[in-house]
Parts: sequence; C-alpha cells; structure tokens
Amino acid sequence: MSGKIKAGLWFDPRTKLLLLLLTALGATMAPSLMYELGLVMLVALMALVCGEWRKSALGLPAYLLFYLLTLAVMQTDGSSLQTTLMAFLGLFHKVYPCGFLAGVMISTTKVSEFLSAMSRIHAPKKLVIPFAVMLRYMPAIREDWHFIKDAMQLRDVSPNLAGLLTHPVRTVECVYVPLMMAASKAADELSIASVTRGIENPRPRTCLVQICFRAADLLAVVCFAAYLAAGLFWKEAFL
Amino acid sequence: MVNQKVSNQKGLTVKDLVTTGIFAALIWVTMLIGGLPFAPNPLLTFYMPLGGALLGGPVFLLLVAKVPKRGPISIVGILAGLIFFATGMHWAMDLGYVLGGLLGDLIAGTKKYRSVKLNIVAYICLCLGATGSYIAFFADPTAWSSLMLNGGTAQSYLDAMNGAAQGWMLPVILLGTVVVGAFSGYVGSKLLKKQFEKAGITA
Repeated sequence: MSGKIKAGLWFDPRTKLLLLLLTALGATMAPSLMYELGLVMLVALMALVCGEWRKSALGLPAYLLFYLLTLAVMQTDGSSLQTTLMAFLGLFHKVYPCGFLAGVMISTTKVSEFLSAMSRIHAPKKLVIPFAVMLRYMPAIREDWHFIKDAMQLRDVSPNLAGLLTHPVRTVECVYVPLMMAASKAADELSIASVTRGIENPRPRTCLVQICFRAADLLAVVCFAAYLAAGLFWKEAFL
Repeated sequence: MVNQKVSNQKGLTVKDLVTTGIFAALIWVTMLIGGLPFAPNPLLTFYMPLGGALLGGPVFLLLVAKVPKRGPISIVGILAGLIFFATGMHWAMDLGYVLGGLLGDLIAGTKKYRSVKLNIVAYICLCLGATGSYIAFFADPTAWSSLMLNGGTAQSYLDAMNGAAQGWMLPVILLGTVVVGAFSGYVGSKLLKKQFEKAGITA
C-alpha cells in the first residue's frame, strides 16, 4: 500500500469502540483514584502502541498534575477550597480517561475504515453516515471560523466579547450567517461527492484496508477487560 | 403541499443524512463552546446546561427547515449523546440528549416540522438533555463524589458538600435552560426569516 503508513500497530475500528466502552465503564465504576491513574496509564500505553507518541507524552503528565492537585486538595480536610473544587475534580477524573482514548482513536481511524467496520456489524446507515460526516466536518468548522474572523476584522466588526456587547445583533449575524451558509454549502457538495462515490450502493461495502480482528486486537481487549474486572472484584488492591 | 407529502414518504435521502451530520457537528460545537466557560469553574459548573443552550438555536432551526422530516432531530440527539459518551461525560447526560432528541422529534413532528414555535420547543427538549447529569447529581450527591470519599473522608466534608449543593439549584437549572433555549430559538427564528429564507437556503 502507500508509503504513508504511520509507525505503530493497526487496530480494528470495532476493537477501538469496544475499548472505549470498557474504558467508560471502568471510569464510571472506578473504586479509587489509584485505579483511575492506572486506567490513564493503560490508555497512554495504548496511544504509544498506536504510534501516537506525542499524545501519550502530553496526556499522561497532564493527568499526573491533576492527580497530585487532587491529592493536595484532599489533604485540606473540610476547607472551603475542598468543597468548591470537589465537584469539578470529580467530573474531571471521570472524563479524562475516555476523552484521552477518544482523541487517540479519532486521530488513528480513517473514515473509510470506520464505515466498513460499521457496515460489517450492520449498524443502521441512518446513524453511521451522519456520524462519519460529523467527525469529518468538525476540523472544518475550526478552519471556517478562522476565515470568518479574518473577514470580520476586514470589515471592522470585532469578533470578540466587546463587539458582542456593543453591537449584539450585527456581531451575531456576522458570525452565524457565514458559518451556516458554509455548512449548508458543504452539505450539498459532500452529498454529491458521496453519492458519486457510491454510498447508496446496496451491496456490501468493500475497503482496501482489510478489516479483521488480529492478535493485537485480542491482546488489547484482554488487557482492558482484565483491568475492568480487577477494578470490580479486587477493589481492596486499589485502595 | 402534494410535493411535501412525496418528500415525506420517501424517508431520509443520503443528502438529508449528510446535512444532518454537518449540522449535528455544528450544534455539538455550539454546545461545547457555550458550556466550556462554565464547566471548569467549580462555582459555575452547575450552570453548564444554560451556557450549552445559548448558541445552538439558529443552527438547529436551520437544520429543521432544511430537512423537515422525521429523523434528523433524533439523530442529532443520539449523535450528541454518543460523542459526549465517547469523550467520557456522565452517562445521565448522554442518555438525556438521546431522550431529548427523540422527544423533540415527536413534538416538532405533530405540525410536520413547519411550526416555528414547536421547533423551538423541540430545541428546548434537546437542551434539557444536558441537565441529566445534574439531576443524577442532586438525586444522590454522595454517590457522585464517592470516588474521592473512599479514602475515608470526615463527616465535616460531607456536611460541607451538602451545603454547597442546595435544593433550589435544580429548578433554577431546569428553568434557566428552558428560558435560555427559548431565547436562542427566538434569535434563530428572526435570523432565519431575515437572512436564510430570502437566500433560498431553507428547503
């Protein structure tokens, strides 16, 4: 195939979804903070194996920082600082492992691979097509936003909070109208492109990349499942 | 009118699905941008659903105007729930979005997605989905922070926690979300009338 293949193991998109589910379950039922740290380490290892070493090198220290902050806050027993921070930190620790893993997965999965894997498990097309389009379009929104900001500055409309307060109606119009026009135009173009490439074809979808479970998939699932089971049945080990 | 019936019977075409996907991405981003200033601030985190409801109205109304059929609103709700689940949000919020989307689809469908008022109500239903995790929080505040409590936290902490999350907050969050969502929908309907209907963007 092409020479652009990244270093790192290739995982089946279905495996990635399964791992995401296991991580979400693990984060929800985590018996202790220590367990949560282990889960993040496991995800960082997974990112490393996928060849996303930069995400791994950034994600783990960032979590460690928050871990230490949480421990420090726990030390100050019953203070007002603890109460105000607790709800936020509770949310953060539940969100982090999944968000980390989802980021790694979205950047390592191609849209065509994702669509083939979804048609293999007979997921309804009504959900899969919008989902794939959504993932594909999100980076484009950011790009559009930069263009709109430039255009607004060119016409002396400031795209920030001060502009919003002094000229609310004009600023809102100048943001929404181009953004939504661009979106509906992109919708027309993308649907023409996808119909041309045969998305309506009723036959089973084929893909250049072979979608199948391999030893690496099995190993990854076993690792995550074992960790989840450990959290459920040997809670004492993580206290 | 006859034409409308035909397009309703045909169900969702690929174009409708692609449009739904793109607008779902936009709506999701507006939820994120609106909610982000609130979520990391421990004092304001409870008002996150209000912020999330503020920006999405115009986008939502344009989607319904472009694809006035059964399905897109539910799909937006399900996709928002899925993505929020994948990024690790609390399960009650994800479930809330799915249910809000389905409910909104039913409500807007009673007038064949042509009534602006009912479309705004559908948007409010979707926005109320974000309050799911807060309902779960107020139902059982101790379970929420049980992760932190396992280290053997003192009773004084439990009392302080209960003091911080007061009972009046939940109705304020729910009502506030409805008001903010209605405002966003109102702005959206004005914008649609002024800009998009003239340009022929709405189907």
